[in-house]
Amino acid sequence: MSRVRDFWNSNRRNPNAIAYAIFIIGAIFYPSIVQFLNGGNGDYLVGFAADGGIYILMAIGLNVVVGFAGLLDLGYAAFFAIGSYTYATVASYHLGVTPIGHALHLPFWIALLIGMFVAAAAGALLGAPTLRLRGDYLAIVTLGFGEIVPIVFRNGEVWTGGVPGISGLDVPSLPGWFVGPWIGQDFGWVPDFRFNTGNLTAYYVLMCFLIAITVVLVHNLYNSRLGRAWMAVREDETAAAASGVNTVTVKLLAFSIGAATSGFAGAFYGAKLSYVSSENFGFVVSVTVLAMVVLGGMGNIPGAMLGAAVLYFILFRLLPDAPAQLQSLASALGLDFLNKADPNGWPGIGEVVSRLKYVIFGLILVGIMLLRPQGLLPSQVRKQELKHAEHEALTAPRQLQG
Amino acid sequence: MATAVQRLRGTFLPLSFNSGLNVIGILVVLVALFASTQRVIEGGGTYFFQTLGFGLAQGAIFALVALGYTMVYGIIELINFAHGDVFTLGAFFSLAIITSPLGALIGLTPSSSGAGVILPLLGLFVVTMLFCALVNIAIERVAYRPLRHAPRLAPLITAIGMSALLEGIMNVWKGPYNLAYPDFLPENQIPLGGGATIAAKSVFVIVIAVVLMVVLTLFINRSKLGKAMRATAQDRDAAQLMGIDINRTISATFFIGAALAGAGGIIYGLYYNSVQAFDGFQYGLYAFTAAVFGGIGNIPGAAIGGFVIGIVFAMSDGYFTTKWTIPLIFAILIFVLVFRPTGLLGMRVPEK
Amino acid sequence: MVRARGLVVLTVATLVAFACGGSTNGGSSNKGEIDIASDLPTSGADASSGLPTQYGAAFAVEQAGSVKGFTLKFIPFDDAVNGKHDPTKGTQNVQQMISNPKILGMVGPFNSGVAGAEIPVANQAPLAMISPSNTNECLTINFDYCQKYAGYTVSSLRPTGKNNYFRVAANDTFQGPAMADFAFDTLGLKTVAVWDDQEPFGLGVANNFAKEFQKKGGTVVARQGFDTSSKPDFHSWLNRAKAAGAQGIYAGATSASYGCIPRAQSQGIFDPNSYYLGPDGIGDGQCLKDSGSMANDHMYASQGVADAGSNSSAASTIAKYKAEHPNAADTAAYTFAAYDCAAILIDSIGRAIDANNGNMPSRQQVIDQIAKTSNFQGLTGTYTLNAAGDPTTPALQIQQNKSSGWTTIKNIAVNPGS
Repeated sequence: MSRVRDFWNSNRRNPNAIAYAIFIIGAIFYPSIVQFLNGGNGDYLVGFAADGGIYILMAIGLNVVVGFAGLLDLGYAAFFAIGSYTYATVASYHLGVTPIGHALHLPFWIALLIGMFVAAAAGALLGAPTLRLRGDYLAIVTLGFGEIVPIVFRNGEVWTGGVPGISGLDVPSLPGWFVGPWIGQDFGWVPDFRFNTGNLTAYYVLMCFLIAITVVLVHNLYNSRLGRAWMAVREDETAAAASGVNTVTVKLLAFSIGAATSGFAGAFYGAKLSYVSSENFGFVVSVTVLAMVVLGGMGNIPGAMLGAAVLYFILFRLLPDAPAQLQSLASALGLDFLNKADPNGWPGIGEVVSRLKYVIFGLILVGIMLLRPQGLLPSQVRKQELKHAEHEALTAPRQLQG
Repeated sequence: MATAVQRLRGTFLPLSFNSGLNVIGILVVLVALFASTQRVIEGGGTYFFQTLGFGLAQGAIFALVALGYTMVYGIIELINFAHGDVFTLGAFFSLAIITSPLGALIGLTPSSSGAGVILPLLGLFVVTMLFCALVNIAIERVAYRPLRHAPRLAPLITAIGMSALLEGIMNVWKGPYNLAYPDFLPENQIPLGGGATIAAKSVFVIVIAVVLMVVLTLFINRSKLGKAMRATAQDRDAAQLMGIDINRTISATFFIGAALAGAGGIIYGLYYNSVQAFDGFQYGLYAFTAAVFGGIGNIPGAAIGGFVIGIVFAMSDGYFTTKWTIPLIFAILIFVLVFRPTGLLGMRVPEK
Repeated sequence: MVRARGLVVLTVATLVAFACGGSTNGGSSNKGEIDIASDLPTSGADASSGLPTQYGAAFAVEQAGSVKGFTLKFIPFDDAVNGKHDPTKGTQNVQQMISNPKILGMVGPFNSGVAGAEIPVANQAPLAMISPSNTNECLTINFDYCQKYAGYTVSSLRPTGKNNYFRVAANDTFQGPAMADFAFDTLGLKTVAVWDDQEPFGLGVANNFAKEFQKKGGTVVARQGFDTSSKPDFHSWLNRAKAAGAQGIYAGATSASYGCIPRAQSQGIFDPNSYYLGPDGIGDGQCLKDSGSMANDHMYASQGVADAGSNSSAASTIAKYKAEHPNAADTAAYTFAAYDCAAILIDSIGRAIDANNGNMPSRQQVIDQIAKTSNFQGLTGTYTLNAAGDPTTPALQIQQNKSSGWTTIKNIAVNPGS
């Protein structure tokens, strides 16, 4: 108990430490809580959280690009797609039906890493010629790239499975895993464990490990020389270049590391779903992740994670459930007419709520940037910088006018 | 800037690498042109002119939208992502008027046709352009002006946000369906001689767009406000010192850009006969490609870029395969930005 | 420092989470509740076909009320995202169904592309699926082109090697050719242009149409796949088709993939009296809206089930349904096929309960019983399901767009042996 108090006292002024502590505790107890609340049928919610972990991974990666290095990447989903498709290529029957004629079934971890490196390479290839350009040109180039990549996968015919995509991907497997009463078995150790939809807790635990590893790596990078170079480039590129920072290399590293994280998440996504299709990597995914980072706090790892968790919950749990709940609420209040859909007018309250997704994106992106640019959980450095800029914005024109 | 680019290039890629890429790029363009010419000759003249007509019509809409992107970029160096959605809003708003009792009042209902629709249609254009312009001014006030001195990233993010917000509002309003847009335009083909024809619809679209663009050019070149815009685009601080009201000038730019987009929205509806809440974003990206192609910030460049992209679109659809048209357009975008960021007509883009 | 400590804490505490994490699934031996799920696109552009189908399945469950002492409950899922059916959303729905032990089977999905993604997930549980409207032939039958065009084969969809998927609709080896025969023989078309939306369903049905049309002696003068992830501009292609001499267009697409937008855009290029043909995917209200002023009686669509209206023994059930859903838009081509799917599922659950001595049956037992379905009297026909999961005597109808909307003009019984 005293250790908890010590921890609290020593970190009271450091919201990040507290945020990490809360994440860890939350992650540990989440499965037990949802299972308890749902009378043992909460497996779906555990799987739901594992899916959300993919967004958390992507938010951590995009945070490196947007938050640390100050580059706007609007084609982030493209790297996610590249990771997924790479995994699908090296870990399924797919290559067997292509003209190559020989299927590859690489072990899960190796396939995951290959997905990550291919995405990073794609990021470097795209970034090398474009990172020399102005910041907003980069946004456009990545946006164009993000539009092209899914279409290429879509049109790739037999090589990419065409529009239907590739199904029957190898599921993750590990040399061994614990089993126990939580999936209705005795305590024990299963060698050569293959993940399956009947044991979503295993996915969840795996996801938590992947996130923990990513956070540790990215956190160390941020506190390294490279992290300071990112900050310098973000603040003033000319000054950074003048002080001997190789700005292009530094930006390229941020861009590739972001792409790598996205590819890593994509590969896991493919493995979890056992299926990839070009439909899932559109611009909306890039915007979602961007909104997550902006909401949580650009430049702050726990901030990005918090933003991802909050927005994921809103978009994938609250919003899909809201129509049914509002409908029953409306009938309980005797407002049944709200539920009735008129073919030419009012579409029914449920349908209206189900259309709100983009309004929420818009409000988050605009509202946060205007009212609280540092996000929900701000980075200390970034907060001052953004505050400072705001201050300038208010005073500068007046000085000139006066 | 130029030297800075050279210096930055030097740090990462040897210059000769870039020149080599340029040569490859030129070769690719030549091969593509050769292949297209061959197909065009095989296809015959009538078919070529018809395809060209569709390309010009589509290009005219691209050009109208591209003007708004390029003007805003020229003056405050912001990619106004919401512009494509203001364009959709033009189509939605005009459709709402036509299908409402108000439409019947001015003589426009979804089933109207014939010469009687010309005057009410003009009225519809004016009202819609005004509405879109006011919306765009409001967007600038709310989302861009407070961030004018913030880090560059901030207004870009709010622009994405405004785009999502407009799409969301239209989606809630009408749902994610295709909405049928009434068909007021004549359907016949106009003979051009020698068996070649062009659709009357395409002619209408092209004429309206060209008229609007001529008016805009005259305005920018002759009027006082136009001069103020050009001055502000060149050097905002100096313009301010010369007594130009910067805020008013920027608002005027947003006003004009959105008015053109609103007109583009109606033309889009009349030409395609259907509109959907999310159409504008994608269409806006094509138009943005056109603006970049012509040289972002350059007004005649945006108009020419619009027509070029429209023709590329139609030729790719008509002679090759529709499957690769969209990647082709975005590949053009990326290639122009990487190899010739100043675009076709070229314009000094100051780094601030 | 915090992070290192965090990692250790995470590792240790995960084990704790295991220890207190799960309670066991409480399978009660008392007669309780059995749930039947559906997975259909019920919002957005797909809703005009998805919702009436869901109503049909819900009505069947409501009519049955209970089975062998177990109360029945209907749980609908929506697989549309932004108004369009989405395979990923579908698989997530199936995972949610699997984690609810009371769900013993599902009606759906509506779209073949969604089925391709869902079957492998449901197969591992295993969970019984019975679809009213999937018509892609590769879902149940092996053809050499399946992996290339559909991206899956019968065995790649079924990792366990056992079948869990059934359907009542005629597959596209019948639906495409039926329209081709009708176009060539009845409408007298000799040249058509064919486009598709590149989805498994659209591409498959368009290929089958083209194959049969050419076999009959007709010519496909233009053939094109469109990327329908955003709205395409069809003008140039339509002009190309016209220049090549097409008398009509066949659209291998659905309304959600802009199936009838080309009809509107063909104005000024094609004569209004040119023909526009398509599969069940365009046989809905959204298509007619999208066609704009070109919506007329020269539009025909096939449907993969027979018209329930021509079955006299179904009349009273249909009348009851219509009394409950008076809105004309609440009845669509697959409403009563979905009713039949739910009825087959309930019937099989009943037999599975008997087979399990009156107890709650396992999901595998339900699947075993569906596979034994034979001579089931449904509203849209009498169904016997074969080992692959297909009906042994499927039926089709051709509909024409008349002033009252899509109207059945021909019922076709197909003999799979031929």
